[in-house]
Amino acid sequence: MKRLYPVLIAGFSAGVFEIVPMAKSLSCCLIIPTAALFALYLEMKSTDRAEPFDISLGVRFGLLTGIFAALFGVTIETIVTLITKTNDLVESFPQMQQMLETFPVDKMTRSEVVGMLETVAEQIKTVGFAPLYTFALLVNTLIVNSIFGIIGGMIGVKLLNNKYYGGK
Amino acid sequence: MKKVRLLIFLLIVIWNLGNFIQALALLNHNFLFAFPILKPTYHLVCHQQADKLIHVFGTSTLLCARCTGIYLGGLFGAFALIFTGRKISLPTKYLLYSSVPMFLDVGFVMFGFYSYSKPVAFLTGLLLGSVGIVYLTELIEKFLSQKRNFTE
Repeated sequence: MKRLYPVLIAGFSAGVFEIVPMAKSLSCCLIIPTAALFALYLEMKSTDRAEPFDISLGVRFGLLTGIFAALFGVTIETIVTLITKTNDLVESFPQMQQMLETFPVDKMTRSEVVGMLETVAEQIKTVGFAPLYTFALLVNTLIVNSIFGIIGGMIGVKLLNNKYYGGK
Repeated sequence: MKKVRLLIFLLIVIWNLGNFIQALALLNHNFLFAFPILKPTYHLVCHQQADKLIHVFGTSTLLCARCTGIYLGGLFGAFALIFTGRKISLPTKYLLYSSVPMFLDVGFVMFGFYSYSKPVAFLTGLLLGSVGIVYLTELIEKFLSQKRNFTE
């Protein structure tokens, strides 16, 4: 369990950052790679590591940071949505609806897509929870965060090895 | 090595196609069903501010001009790498240099030296993306060769 502390801390921080509106729009795709780098840095400091990191460790750390960030991020977002009964989807729904209304596709396709979005937005506004949305968000976040985490972990290994281990 | 680079290229093609899902829906209306899923997915990596999106054939991208530049740069870089047979090794400083114009642009816009420009954002992103993918491919290949050595 102790070995997981760096990725847990970094993943939790990234998960929180991912739902803070200002932080989210400022750093967008940099949050998860930075968290993976942070996890490696924490590992280096906590174990007084004497030898350079190898890339497979970076990949592992990046992957785990991404997964934990996704789990924490989606959990926090779900709780916040349950309390506030609103989220990004609900807020951007009128804009999305307007876009879809003017979109040059047949009426049936358009109404089906709008209907799908409307059902989810309505569930969030009334109960604060939409199972389909939460599931889709969790799957998407797990995939995207894992990929960006792995990228961050690999780059992190190179950066830390350059800085602390003479570029090995 | 070529297979890995081809796979990286294909994955980036798919990611970039997702960015242009609205334009693709003009070709085949069924692509529109992916829109409600892809919009929040791309929101994970981009703020998607309406005034910063790129407009193509009356539709808009899912990513802002800068992010579109980064991923299209990645696409061009990955495509070029397929035809470069040799092993690549790029010092870290080039990645940092290529990110300088983008961060300067972000800083200048943020502090009001000039207003946001989509072409500038796109081009600075394109530069970072095209260099970044070379760097990333190098790391992926290094990782795979380490794995191969370990199993042999």
